[in-house]
Amino acid sequence: MTAHRQITRNDADAIKPLPIRLTVNGEISDHLVPPRTQLAELLRDRLHLTATHLACEQGVCGACTVMVDGRPVRSCLTFAADCDGIEVETLEGWQGDELMDRLRAAFTRNHALQCGFCTPGMLATARDLVERLDTPDEARIRNELSGNLCRCTGYVGIVGAIREVIEERDALRIPPKSPPALPRIAAQGFAPFTARADEVASAAPAALGETTSENGWTIVRRKVTLDHPPKAVWTHFRDLPSVARCLPGADLSETDGKTFAGHVGVRFGPISARFEGAGEFTADDATQSGQVTGRGKDRGGQSNVEGQLAFTVHEGETPATSQVDVSFRFRIEGVLGQFNRPELVNGLVDYILGEFVANCNAVLSGGEIRESKGVSAWAVLRAVIMGFFRRKG
Amino acid sequence: MKPAIFDHLHPTTTQDALKALAMGGKAMGGGQSLGPMLNLRLARPDSVVGLSAIPGMTDIREERGKIILGAGVTHARIEDNDCAIDLPPMLRHVARGIAYRAVRNRGTVGGSIAHADPAADWISAMTALDAELVLQDGAGKQRRIAVAGFMLGAYRTQLAPGEIITSVEIRSQMRDAHWGYYKICRKVGEFADAIGALVIHPSSRFIRLVAGATGAQPLILTQLGAEIAASAQRPREQAIRDALGTNLPGLDPVKLHLMTTALDRCIQKVIPA
Repeated sequence: MTAHRQITRNDADAIKPLPIRLTVNGEISDHLVPPRTQLAELLRDRLHLTATHLACEQGVCGACTVMVDGRPVRSCLTFAADCDGIEVETLEGWQGDELMDRLRAAFTRNHALQCGFCTPGMLATARDLVERLDTPDEARIRNELSGNLCRCTGYVGIVGAIREVIEERDALRIPPKSPPALPRIAAQGFAPFTARADEVASAAPAALGETTSENGWTIVRRKVTLDHPPKAVWTHFRDLPSVARCLPGADLSETDGKTFAGHVGVRFGPISARFEGAGEFTADDATQSGQVTGRGKDRGGQSNVEGQLAFTVHEGETPATSQVDVSFRFRIEGVLGQFNRPELVNGLVDYILGEFVANCNAVLSGGEIRESKGVSAWAVLRAVIMGFFRRKG
Repeated sequence: MKPAIFDHLHPTTTQDALKALAMGGKAMGGGQSLGPMLNLRLARPDSVVGLSAIPGMTDIREERGKIILGAGVTHARIEDNDCAIDLPPMLRHVARGIAYRAVRNRGTVGGSIAHADPAADWISAMTALDAELVLQDGAGKQRRIAVAGFMLGAYRTQLAPGEIITSVEIRSQMRDAHWGYYKICRKVGEFADAIGALVIHPSSRFIRLVAGATGAQPLILTQLGAEIAASAQRPREQAIRDALGTNLPGLDPVKLHLMTTALDRCIQKVIPA
């Protein structure tokens, strides 16, 4: 048990490989695996079982699917260190396996392989389906096969082969392993009743603002309310260092008030990124509006971000409050860009904006920025959630 | 891609796991969501703390009127009802719709809830089922929290640093509940574009209508739910659209349509036309 060992990136060399023993295609072997080794990598690079293909490495394409203890799993999403004591079967194995022999024959008969890249994963999934499904229902087979992509669009033959082998299995009177089907109950309605008060419901108002996508740019628009008069807010906003201080994770390394260099660290669930970059800042006192334009690169240069933040300060509902129209335009390229699910970007922007507004309010009240650490970050977060920061339309 | 270098710990007790997490480790259940993020190097933790070796994490049992699912129970086991008790049919239905079988064989219910992806199934389904989470911290202190309200936003939850989910509990009564669950995905198994979930248990006067895949936490439509209970009729599509519009202002029209459709279809499964 190594849980008590403190790990930092500097002593990464000290991370010890873990010993594992596994049975692959009936042969036992021992390995010392660095923790980041995927099962797929172990199979391909150490055991030279290269039928297991790696493609998306996100669990979507299915090319790396192998059997672990008789169940299909993604070998790209399985760490070798978690595999001590397991039994693995790959395309090279399944020796003397009747279902697999029948599947191979059926794949050949149905021309179910074209370039062959998807085939190892398809066969692993197919074997599971043939073993599990109670009927050769085409819709069900196609649904279950949705986790295995074939870029030759050869599904017709593959589905046909699976159906044939399920029929062969039935003819041999081998029972399916599927559990009893879900009871299918038709909608029956119910007698009207008075719902009991649902006290938890009010705690979860999910609000979204406007997010659009134009020519590869994501544009997020928000209106936020600050608990201070427009003049004070503008004085704060026209001063780049004071605004930057309120932006969680941002750090200006140099600035002359108009141009700047620095970094922004972003933590979003398990995702963390640190963008280093530079940009320009303009502010117009007449219209009380400003603009920050910047470009940055993620650690290791794997993602680029380009963005523009524009804001205008107006009077709020009362003269003692301000409404700030904020618009973010940004474009992410590279690894992070692959993960560009706009709704999540929305969530991230809301989170950062929430903290930013809470910080601005705190600074304008003459206080200090709350440390974004531990318990206090929690308090800030809760304050934001509980409506500390009101969002309008 | 190969993940950035990390240490991988396999604690065998909750206490050891919590110590490792307190030192900055990232908890991993089945790793089916964290795995892709590691492979893409979006997540670069110094250490990963696997929770699968902790005893009890994979138990499914029933006591004191509650069905208790260990946080490490896989989606596939729920799909197959692979346990000694009967699971509520809604759980099995939802489990079957999660990603792909190969992912369901490793992905866990607790991991999915802790990860708090807005498009994930359990967070919405368990909210509709009025499930509770049992959380444990490093001092061995347990607390209970409703799944409704647990999620604060995309990837953000009420889980405190150094705290883990040990189990998910559902009232046994929920076996008899009327339920509807409908999700819209661009492709089977992909991230959901819209989720509708409805659970009605008339004898305990419980009804909960939930819109999931909002981009943030699931939305509980209390008012519309109460109206459905009082009338036992399907609301008109416009009423659903209005309820969503009120609660999620500024929603993209396409998204609004998808969510309206998902809710309408989940209600149809309970209340006949």
